[in-house]
Amino acid sequence: MTRITPDFAKELKQYGDDTALICFNCGTCVAVCPLISESFPRRLIRYIQIGARDRILENSNDLYKCLHCGLCTETCPRGADPGEVILSLKRFAVATWRKM
Amino acid sequence: MFTPEIIIDTLADNVRKTGNPFGLKKASLNTWWKDSSLTPDGSTLLFTGLMYQLVPYIKATTKYLEKYEDTPKADYIRYGKLVPKSITNMGLNFISSKEDKTSFNTILGNIARILQSSGVSFAYKPDLDEYSGVLLYDLGDQESFIKHAKYVAKKLQDAGIRKLITVDPHTTYAVKVLYPKYTGISFEVQTYFELANLKGEGNSEEITLHDPCFYGRYLKLSDVPQNLLTNLGVSCTKLNTSGPFTSCCGGPAESMSPKLAEEVGKRRVEELAINGKKIVSMCPICLANLQKSGAEVDDLSSLLVQFV
Repeated sequence: MTRITPDFAKELKQYGDDTALICFNCGTCVAVCPLISESFPRRLIRYIQIGARDRILENSNDLYKCLHCGLCTETCPRGADPGEVILSLKRFAVATWRKM
Repeated sequence: MFTPEIIIDTLADNVRKTGNPFGLKKASLNTWWKDSSLTPDGSTLLFTGLMYQLVPYIKATTKYLEKYEDTPKADYIRYGKLVPKSITNMGLNFISSKEDKTSFNTILGNIARILQSSGVSFAYKPDLDEYSGVLLYDLGDQESFIKHAKYVAKKLQDAGIRKLITVDPHTTYAVKVLYPKYTGISFEVQTYFELANLKGEGNSEEITLHDPCFYGRYLKLSDVPQNLLTNLGVSCTKLNTSGPFTSCCGGPAESMSPKLAEEVGKRRVEELAINGKKIVSMCPICLANLQKSGAEVDDLSSLLVQFV
């Protein structure tokens, strides 16, 4: 069971680029990502879109595997800037840990 | 993988207390300039951002960390914060290789020689040369990054610095793009190779240039070193994975997962070793991680200094 936070994308705006909702989940970012792990970064962007805030925090270790290399952003056909979205999620995770 | 929260808190604590992510005393970290005759006067500053100087310590630390990654002892790192910085400094100096320190200091000396030989007028003031804080930015510790960046930017501004000459892609990105955005203070920023004006004819050598992500994609500077080398008679292997489509060396994962960094690095080495030519890097993080991943790699400056 995952709790949904419908306004999560709005909450995330304070941490950076507001582009996650532009993504249409084509998977180009997954194909080029040097991590070759399970659907990264698309899966986390999808979590933003459906408001799965807690699921992002549960999977926060995956965020820190990101090399911030920017290849996903360079190749994204929607200009959704996945690299910056992941960086925003890192900021969100750090800020959340520090509030705990 | 190590626990991100513990790593980030440790690095941020070190930056807060010592100005660099390893908690090192600047006097023992930044020594390369002692063998150079550089003027401290002027508003154009050679700003190394201490990245090349930090690499010997990164190499030594990750060698130890690798042993504990994904083991129950991994979380003991959290107690590192409790160790006095003087002890940390002594320990890191003890475990880091003297040969590495000499090698990375030589790179910075070579860069200074390239600038002098190119007729560039610049100052070097060790007390103004600070770590940019860029790792905190990359890890999402925005609050700590902005605090440190404001401190560095204001220090440079108060000293009358208007232009920065940078030597690595991470610091270049920080001071050129992030500082104006997050500190409100701007400097004119150029890398040393944009200012290099060297003449000579190479021996028609061919090399394979590894474009760092921040020069290739974020700053779109890949053409500059390539053209510089071509004009000196050094040709560069054509790679599909170059410029904006360059492949990461894996180095940025070093603080969270040395295993992952090496895995990504080995894949990049395979791409670069396509024709067996000498591999050349222009980033200290790439240089160290590609070497760790099994490649023989030279820094761009060691190639350029041959034309001084």
